[in-house]
Amino acid sequence: MAKSAQAPRRRAIPRLLLTGYAGLVYVFLYAPIAMIVLLSFNTADFIGFPIEGLGLVRYREAVASSEVLHAAINSVLLGMAAASIATVLALGLALGFRYRFPLKGVVLQMILVPIVIPAVVGGVVLMVLFGYAEVSPGLWTTVLVAHVNWALPFAFLTLYPRVHRFDRSLEEAAMDLGARPALVLRRVVLPMMRPGIVATFLFSFTLSFDEFVRTLFVIGSDRTIPVLIWTLVIERNSPHLPAVGVLIMAATIVIALIAFVTGERSRSAS
Amino acid sequence: MTAITAANINASREARPRRLEPGALMIVPALLWLVLFGVVPMILLGCMSLWRSTIFGIEMEWNLDNYRTIFSDDVYMRVLAQTLRIALASTVLSLILSYPLAYFLASAKGRKKTALVLLVFLPFWTSYVIRSYVWLPMLGRQGLVNQVLLWLGVVDAPIDWFLFNEGTVYLGLVYVYMLFMTLPIYLSLDRLDPKLVEAANDLGARPAQTFVRVVLPLSMPGVLSGCTMVFLLACGVYVTPQLLGGPSAVMFGNIIASQFLTSNNWALGAALSVILVVLVLGCLYLAGLRWGLQRLFMGAGH
Repeated sequence: MAKSAQAPRRRAIPRLLLTGYAGLVYVFLYAPIAMIVLLSFNTADFIGFPIEGLGLVRYREAVASSEVLHAAINSVLLGMAAASIATVLALGLALGFRYRFPLKGVVLQMILVPIVIPAVVGGVVLMVLFGYAEVSPGLWTTVLVAHVNWALPFAFLTLYPRVHRFDRSLEEAAMDLGARPALVLRRVVLPMMRPGIVATFLFSFTLSFDEFVRTLFVIGSDRTIPVLIWTLVIERNSPHLPAVGVLIMAATIVIALIAFVTGERSRSAS
Repeated sequence: MTAITAANINASREARPRRLEPGALMIVPALLWLVLFGVVPMILLGCMSLWRSTIFGIEMEWNLDNYRTIFSDDVYMRVLAQTLRIALASTVLSLILSYPLAYFLASAKGRKKTALVLLVFLPFWTSYVIRSYVWLPMLGRQGLVNQVLLWLGVVDAPIDWFLFNEGTVYLGLVYVYMLFMTLPIYLSLDRLDPKLVEAANDLGARPAQTFVRVVLPLSMPGVLSGCTMVFLLACGVYVTPQLLGGPSAVMFGNIIASQFLTSNNWALGAALSVILVVLVLGCLYLAGLRWGLQRLFMGAGH
């Protein structure tokens, strides 16, 4: 929103107030994060102030903890599996949505409604379903389904605009030249969509990696990182909790930034 | 050339009378998934809300007792009222924080703008649980705020009431969901044609007038979708009140969770879930947003 250059003096004071206000909001956003980073270096054996001394003790504990390691491995593998499934399903949806079919509006609602369904309900419906289906809770059954359910609408929303834009005539040309659909998909469609697919995968991964509430209802005795952090918070006797938190925040920010950059690139490419 | 091709394709597409084009079959795998893990469990939950929980498990005996219990019991109605109040308060607070911030972002330029927008996004990409937890060491007896107040000599003993009340839940919710308010307002302000503002100025409007008569009305769609999003998210929240609310600020999500996790009354929990879903979808319908949400989430999801 470019402001006109006229009457700059009349604008100076409101402008200053606005900048000051925005600055305070940034402080509100970042002060808690700065505090948790500071606490993660605290050598005291409780989480709080005043700071007794600064050091890497809690990070050493966090890295050495087999609990943390297992949860991290679970979260990464699960995230990759959930993101793969969500991306493939969303790719089918996005490609299919370029064609006409009956009840398209209803299908679109089926895809998008899970976004606004409260997480608690998203968790208990699966708890009930798997309870009746006698599937015992576990990472690779119930939790995987919960994560794909959560990531799928976002994967679709990330992919669809990118698929929608590209020219269907290229595909049709390949078909006219005698290529079978599978070959067209592999040689024409997928290469063109690669950046969009990568961005969708990464975004789905971050959604799965951070998912907590739905997971809580279907996880049984396994642990993902958010569930482990939750148990550490509830138990209230884990001085390395801030260190674990900082490591996780750093990891998710890096992944999200990569997803963001890839996404922007695929957007400007197509 | 391309225009002609595209036009031809469109023409041939219009000419085709079939309702289902074969290419649409690519949605089938996802459709099966959505029916099996989306629609079927919801129907099951709806049925269960009409059954009866006994100490021996669920009896499939159709009745309305769960709903009768909920609507006649003061406890549930109080929690419902409290949920709506908390959701409303955190929506208003988010709006108060977000609007000026969004305005500030929209009026920035170039690389600085990209950096400032990214800085608003960053915290929201990190763990939801950690961002809720963070208020415990911030506001607790040994928290940062209390220790600073003690050090400054403002108080003699740490203040207890910072945590575990409704206000703490407002704070936690605003911190966790504010982006869903900032983003749509920012997008609507950013799209606003600067010529309109210039025209208003040229015609002699004072800055305040320009804002109230031009900028504010044009950013209302963003405000509306932001308010709807934050309100809906806050209505269904579980983590924030569980961690920061204490016994006095229980919300609907928490009583649903406790039916399934502790008191083992699935049928009642199912009825509570149905009420929450109806409430959320009803609000969404009333807001008239429906799938305009699509745009909002596309923004949130990069």
